[in-house]
Amino acid sequence: MISSLTKYCHAFLVGLQGNIVYRWNFAFRGFSSLFHLIVVFTLWGAAYAGKSSIGGFDLGQTLTYFVLLLVLQFFIGAFNEDYQISEEIRNGLINQFLLKPINYFLYRFSIFLAARLVSGLLVLVAVAVALPFIYHHLTLPTDAWRLWLGLPAVALSAVIQFSIAFCFGLLTFWFLEIQSFVILSYAIETLLGGQVFPLDLMPASIFRISQFLPYYYQMYFPAAIFTGRIDRTQAIEGIGIQLFWAAALLGIAHLLWRRGLRRHTAVGG
Amino acid sequence: MGFLHYLRIWLACARYSIVRTMMFRFDFLMWSLVEFFWMSVNLLLVAVIYEHTDSIAGWNKYQMLLLVGTAMILQRLMMGFFWSNLFELGRNIRSGQFDFFLAQPGHPLFMISTRKIDPDSLINSIVAIAVVVYAVRQLGLHPGAVDIALYVALLACAIVVHYATVLLVVSATFWLIGSQGIEGTYFTIFEFSRLPREAFRGVTSVLFVYALPAVVVSNVPAQTLIHGFQPLHALWLLGLAVAWLTVAIFVFNRGLRRYSSASS
Repeated sequence: MISSLTKYCHAFLVGLQGNIVYRWNFAFRGFSSLFHLIVVFTLWGAAYAGKSSIGGFDLGQTLTYFVLLLVLQFFIGAFNEDYQISEEIRNGLINQFLLKPINYFLYRFSIFLAARLVSGLLVLVAVAVALPFIYHHLTLPTDAWRLWLGLPAVALSAVIQFSIAFCFGLLTFWFLEIQSFVILSYAIETLLGGQVFPLDLMPASIFRISQFLPYYYQMYFPAAIFTGRIDRTQAIEGIGIQLFWAAALLGIAHLLWRRGLRRHTAVGG
Repeated sequence: MGFLHYLRIWLACARYSIVRTMMFRFDFLMWSLVEFFWMSVNLLLVAVIYEHTDSIAGWNKYQMLLLVGTAMILQRLMMGFFWSNLFELGRNIRSGQFDFFLAQPGHPLFMISTRKIDPDSLINSIVAIAVVVYAVRQLGLHPGAVDIALYVALLACAIVVHYATVLLVVSATFWLIGSQGIEGTYFTIFEFSRLPREAFRGVTSVLFVYALPAVVVSNVPAQTLIHGFQPLHALWLLGLAVAWLTVAIFVFNRGLRRYSSASS
């Protein structure tokens, strides 16, 4: 057990070193995201003009939601993990993992955690730079339970995010080019994950349906816990559904891996 | 080399692009679907916000839809005619493949800008036009032939601004070889074009309305349809198109002089 953990700790450290090399790319991406925040602040600021609340939430709560979403995206969002996995399959680089006592999912997940640690810390720098201009808009509830339920929700979100990316990467066993699938899925995740607008602003029936889809638990759910958009009962119920999706996606990833390997042909030495 | 010569080159490239697209029909279908979905995301944002409010910076739902539709037409046309070409310019400069364009029978800027067209984006520009037509009908507007011609002319100016901005950004690769991903700046800048000009206040107004052409490109054509022709606004957009294109061509030509190929 411990030797197994050490193995993935090493993968994490290698991933950390590899991603620190790209620190400027992540920092550039983090600072570019501030422009998206300006769009969000401008649009929602204009929408709230003359109104104290939209959908039961004030401007500060909505803007805080989007700022937190940005931070979460850099800490737990899957960036290009699907492409990396796809490339490793296409170029035959996964062959080496088939001969070693290492679980490919856990190996990639360790690298994913390392990459997100680097990108997450760098986006905090970008947000810190923007803080003097936006802090008076930010408002966070102080209930302790939001932290205790929010943190496991963030961890499960990371598992869901990575598992979806992993499954899309594995599609390379069946399709030569997966880029269009990935971008289509990204569009669906962006919309149903609550990155375009808070999902609770949708009509009640559609919002209820969205709560049973995995996308809801990718970004909206942890952000909604921290920013006070859902209450304690909804949060506990949500964690149950989130656990189900995390387990289901891990199962699908395992199934795709086993089926995909049967189709895989390793050539060359 | 006259206009006809360049037209013939462009037609040959366009034909090649269409033949190539038809060879990969599933890919074409998927990419068309991807773009269509992204456009729907923007429309859904408008629909959801206007479920809770009647006006954003003085623009009602259908005026906003017209603005977003106009921004979508511009982006689809830009993606359809120029994006892949300019995106590949950066990559070609880094790899040295740019040599290939210098040996072609036309000005390098024309040759790199027109090599490919993307039919999936062009197909989706029809959807964007349909959004504008729908918004115009819902607003009860009845634009005449002259209004439509002016709208199209302003869109053409806006496309020039889009093109010049990407060219300017990508030309930086002549100096900054390791600037992968710099092309994405285009999407960052023009995300603002889906917002009404009146929503910007203070510094953001100075920066995104006056210093950068992000907001004007979509707002001026949309306002022409909504409120009628405003000569000052049209001149503003025309001036921007001329100025940005001049600067972009100047920077590209300076970069071209620096270009020394890559090792073989």
